[in-house]
Amino acid sequence: MKMGKKVLGLTMALATVAALGLTGCGKEDSGKITIFQSKTEIMSDLNALAKAYTEETGVEVEVWETTGDNYYSDLKTGLSTEAGATLFSLQPGAESVELADYLADLGDLSFVGKIGAGMADEVNGKIVGIPYTVEGFGLIYDKDLVDPASLNSTQALLDFMANSTADNALGLSQEDYFLIAHILNAPFAVQSNPEGYLKDVLAGSTRLADNEAFQEFAQIMEGIRANCTNPVDITYDNNCGDFATGKTALIHQGNWASGMFADYDVTFDMGITAVPIQGNNKISVSVPIAWYLNADASEKEQKLAKDFLEWLYTSKTGVDYLMNKFNFIPVVDGMENTNLDPVNTSVSNAVISGNTIPWVMSDWPAGIVSTDLAPITKEFFTSDMTGTELLDKLNDAFVAAAN
Amino acid sequence: MKIKKGWYALFTAPLMLVFFCVVVIPFFIGIGYSFFSWDGLAKHRAVFVGFQNFINVFQDGRFISSALRTTVFTLIAVLTVNILGIFFALVVTTKLRVRNLARTMLFMPYLIGGLILGYIWKAVFQEYFLNIGWGNWTTDSVKGIAAMVIVTTWQMAGYVMIVYITGIMAIPNDVMEAASVDGAGYFQTLFKVKFPLLMPSFTICLFLTLSNCFKIYDVNVSLTGAGPGNALEMYSLNIYNEIFSLSNFGYGQAKAIIFFLIIAVVTLAQVTITKKREVAM
Repeated sequence: MKMGKKVLGLTMALATVAALGLTGCGKEDSGKITIFQSKTEIMSDLNALAKAYTEETGVEVEVWETTGDNYYSDLKTGLSTEAGATLFSLQPGAESVELADYLADLGDLSFVGKIGAGMADEVNGKIVGIPYTVEGFGLIYDKDLVDPASLNSTQALLDFMANSTADNALGLSQEDYFLIAHILNAPFAVQSNPEGYLKDVLAGSTRLADNEAFQEFAQIMEGIRANCTNPVDITYDNNCGDFATGKTALIHQGNWASGMFADYDVTFDMGITAVPIQGNNKISVSVPIAWYLNADASEKEQKLAKDFLEWLYTSKTGVDYLMNKFNFIPVVDGMENTNLDPVNTSVSNAVISGNTIPWVMSDWPAGIVSTDLAPITKEFFTSDMTGTELLDKLNDAFVAAAN
Repeated sequence: MKIKKGWYALFTAPLMLVFFCVVVIPFFIGIGYSFFSWDGLAKHRAVFVGFQNFINVFQDGRFISSALRTTVFTLIAVLTVNILGIFFALVVTTKLRVRNLARTMLFMPYLIGGLILGYIWKAVFQEYFLNIGWGNWTTDSVKGIAAMVIVTTWQMAGYVMIVYITGIMAIPNDVMEAASVDGAGYFQTLFKVKFPLLMPSFTICLFLTLSNCFKIYDVNVSLTGAGPGNALEMYSLNIYNEIFSLSNFGYGQAKAIIFFLIIAVVTLAQVTITKKREVAM
């Protein structure tokens, strides 16, 4: 009996603790939204922005942390179990199409009409994605080692790689996107109808190896294998470091890398130039990531989240964060960023002049880069596979992933 | 006695509850998923496909080669981990002056997470080896496996060492004395007295290393990834990629069920065999 009492007491204690914990979680604020987004480099500024917003409006903004690695699968799990954030980020394209059922219409935000042409993400006729910024990639050049104007054809690039005196003429690095995804975008994007061409490839009705742009791409890859440091042996950090210290003449990278160069005393002029496949002189520019609103969030939360986006893109504080803290390239008419570095300026100028090719890679089947394209490319760089065989293997992977 | 049982139940209840919620229930739900074709989104319909997922698994060349690769890796790693583990255990149970320090140092790698270990060793196998002209081990289909074996051994050997130490300490002194009085040498004592009495430790260690090596994931992800032409993709990573990268939840789950069956059969067989060889004192 005595023992029984003790057990009862213990159970009561446990129950009390549990009850306290539960009520703690269930506290309802006057207004709160949650944000889950994958651009980790703006995380600390975003937290500061959230605080500033709370101070101005009283609405609490909670930013969920992520390392970025498993972001998309974590997000999907959250949405599927109805525990998703109010606002989240996606890559416009394959991701936003897959999650279309979970995305609320953002077409009624006041500044939607001012977003640059084609930059707002439209799925099934609704504007669902508000772009963060634009990013562009291509060949970042060191003007002391290479004259970008001379790289006007695939042959010129091949000749440069064969004759360059730099330690490394053209640096790719081992990470999946830097190894293959970004550079493979170029031959897709220079097609006269990139979207239609991709559809044909996925359906198996045309082969990459029969296309001139891809043949030139294969020559470039063979040239890199023959003349440059093996990309599978270089990390992103080393690649950027070697470039910034003048050891590498060209790296295939994007404007996000400019932050890396800031750590070095760079003494030369740089900028981004195009991968000159079929004489292409445009760099690949697109919206890498956009804001989306959770369609399953309560009406009140959706309203608060829209207010937040409205504030972010139109208020003085919000725009100041976008331009000066996040260092974004403007995507909404009327915004201006006056302190961009040379690489970002290259991209910004390309956007203004319309001198860009699209990111066809956003429409590739989801997951294909890491599971198929990168392993194939690594095999290419560690064996004597020919460029044509590389194209065939990549082609097979695209067809298999589309089924 | 009755009260005692009640207490046991009470104290194990929280753990049982957690175990039930995060292991048992998901396991059975998972079996259900393996009969569907589904992309993991609640709003998208799951299509019942019967045993089609399981049939497809056996026609999936990439999966089968990853399974074979994992088996080879496991065989090598189980041997190296246990041989090194018992060697360490024998060394640190002698009158060695630094034995306590040595135990701590040898056990330490186990306390570092596999992911972190993988990234640390990646620098060694990639950048340092390139600098000294040994080539990049993380992108070679044979050396990559060797690299994983080395890291796994480095991590696990200290852990099984602890189990073996406990086993060795438990051997009564009179048995050892009797052996030395009878004139048995070091190796005779080792093989004829110590090892038979260590059989329970072997059972535990082999079980732990077998199941751990089959399930290797963190070291695989951080050290090599899938590698060139997927030549370094292990079983778990293959399943992970299928589910989380390609969003084939049902198909990936079918792979996972088969994975579970293989590990269960192999480890059960091992435990039965080594149990039989245990001797009573």
